Amino acid sequence: MPDPASSDGLTLKGLSKRFGSFEAVTDVCLDVRRGEFLTLLGPSGSGKTSLLMMIAGFLDPSDGDIALDGQSIIRLPAEKRNFGMVFQGYALFPHMSVWQNIAYPLEVRKQPRAQIQSRVQEMLDLVQLTEFSDRLPRQLSGGQQQRVALARALSFNPQILLLDEPLGALDKKLRTDVQEQLKDLHRRVGATFIYVTHDQEEALSMSDRVVIMNHGKVVQVGAPNDLYERPETVFAANFLGKSNFLRGSVTAANGQTLSCVVAGADVHHRCNGAAPGVGELVTLALRPEKIDVAPLGDAPLSNGLQGTVSSLTYYGSNFTVTTEVAGFGSVTAEVGAWRNPHRFETGQTVDLSWQEDATVLVSEGTES
Amino acid sequence: MNGRSSMGWCFGRAGAWLVLLFLVLPALIALPVSLTPERYLSVPKDSMSLRHYANLFSSDEWISSIFQSLVIACGAAILATVLGTLCAIGLWRISTRFSEAIRALLLLPLIIPPIISAMAFYRVWVKLGLLDSYLGMIIAHAILAAPMVLITVSAALANFDPKLEQASRNLGAALPTTLRRVIFPSIRPGILAGAVFAFILSWDEIVVTLFIAKFRVFTLPRRMWDGIRENTDPTVAAAAVVLIVVTLTALLLSVLLSRGRAPAAETKET
Ligand SMILES: Nc1ncnc2c1ncn2[C@@H]1O[C@H](COP(=O)(O)OP(=O)(O)O)[C@@H](O)[C@H]1O
Ligand SMILES: [Mg+2]
Repeated sequence: MPDPASSDGLTLKGLSKRFGSFEAVTDVCLDVRRGEFLTLLGPSGSGKTSLLMMIAGFLDPSDGDIALDGQSIIRLPAEKRNFGMVFQGYALFPHMSVWQNIAYPLEVRKQPRAQIQSRVQEMLDLVQLTEFSDRLPRQLSGGQQQRVALARALSFNPQILLLDEPLGALDKKLRTDVQEQLKDLHRRVGATFIYVTHDQEEALSMSDRVVIMNHGKVVQVGAPNDLYERPETVFAANFLGKSNFLRGSVTAANGQTLSCVVAGADVHHRCNGAAPGVGELVTLALRPEKIDVAPLGDAPLSNGLQGTVSSLTYYGSNFTVTTEVAGFGSVTAEVGAWRNPHRFETGQTVDLSWQEDATVLVSEGTES
Repeated sequence: MNGRSSMGWCFGRAGAWLVLLFLVLPALIALPVSLTPERYLSVPKDSMSLRHYANLFSSDEWISSIFQSLVIACGAAILATVLGTLCAIGLWRISTRFSEAIRALLLLPLIIPPIISAMAFYRVWVKLGLLDSYLGMIIAHAILAAPMVLITVSAALANFDPKLEQASRNLGAALPTTLRRVIFPSIRPGILAGAVFAFILSWDEIVVTLFIAKFRVFTLPRRMWDGIRENTDPTVAAAAVVLIVVTLTALLLSVLLSRGRAPAAETKET
């Protein structure tokens, strides 16, 4: 028996899925805590749906085990697992009304009529669709269909709810509203949510923890701000938000501060963990919003580069300033648009500077 | 829309109607012939009469034949629909290259010339003691018609979203419930169409019938066959009209049934 702390909730142990010779999911190990909002984030084709389908019981893993509260559920058929699921595209039954869709899992469980009646009403209230209960799915908007799918998946009180890109079909404004509704729902029903998305904003704003996936493998797991502030690989730094990457060899290591030469300039970085030795090649990730952009000053920069503005893009709340740094390439910085004293123009040479702890040491990541 | 393309469209339509007429006319010739006042097969000239219809519906033999054909066609349609639907669902669920080979094999009864099937049925039915019996006729016709059902139900299943089956199972329904409450309602039009085709196939089947029916079983097509060989009684034409009318009614019914569902659901909304 494993220790009780790790046996609570859902545990994936070395889960793999091969389709012929192609490995869609490779050796995924994950502890999903009871009641948490966990997001699987990765580009399209990274194996998120395959992983979710294995948890739901629709795909047999090629290797590994899935355990719920310490008990392996790998032999349990999908209909016995009691996990709610919101499918990509919702998969509402087209010939049943909203009411019948939500009642279906309760009828299948042979609950008494009166109980079904009150539970469906409760779910309709929860997703605010009471007046639509007689409609067929095709008579509803995308957002309403999505809420029916949620109500149906939650009506039988599942311990775990699996959601496969449930907001993919909605437009941007609606998506933001529904994100909040979903988070609120998660707080109220208290079930574990395992949420699949390829949208990094969704992942950051909703999750307790995010699992970044690429090519079927888990790249990094952590709380949203953990992952954003301390990505471990180039892929994580680039997929969750944007990053500039400074590559150079270490010229001096002074305690926790190391220096390296990037495009002829000295760049300093304060490490959190063990500092690499002198001579090692390192990659530093630098978020665009952590770069200060200023008109060319007189004093030499203590930690920064000089670049020529090649393009400016306005996003309402901020500007993106793309600069060309001689001997290096392009560096992108983000500047708040409001009360920004500087007006930049393309062709202008600017100082790009940042704090020593703004950069993050990342590994290149071998798999790609 | 410019004039040229709309003119081309007109020609296309006219052409389609011509082809349709060409295909349908031979069948429709039975209608005037059945209305002839004469005692022999002829197209009516001066007057028309319903005497052959009166004859048809007052003759015990003809009525019995119509009844027998209806019973056999209904039985065969039901049996073929059950077999064909189960086959289609089974193949759909397995869905491998092997099952595709099986599907091709199952379509053979449609491809084999009827005379070959007839001989085969005769040989086997002799051994099984099924010759000249309702059961033998129903089974033989069901075997011939099952591939029709397999085709229409497979087509319906190809359009069925497999996610719906997964959703049903995810919500706690095992396969039998999923079949009954999710899969069947979704493929009902395909099943209905298959049943109608099976009915029609059996309703006017003659080749196999000639081989395996003798004294007791006398279906409508067989009665017509005999009638036309022994004398030129226009009652045969009246029977042909009945045959066509029943066939068309069955087709119409299937169209109405598969169409009727959607609008009915739509009006419920408001
Ligand atoms: N049934 C299947 N047969 C073969 N390959 C598949 C199958 N399902 C998924 N794949 C492949 O596995 C990879 C991961 O797919 P998927 O899990 O759907 O990724 P995601 O949901 O992250 O976009 C893809 O490259 C996809 O082509
Ligand atoms: Mg997917």
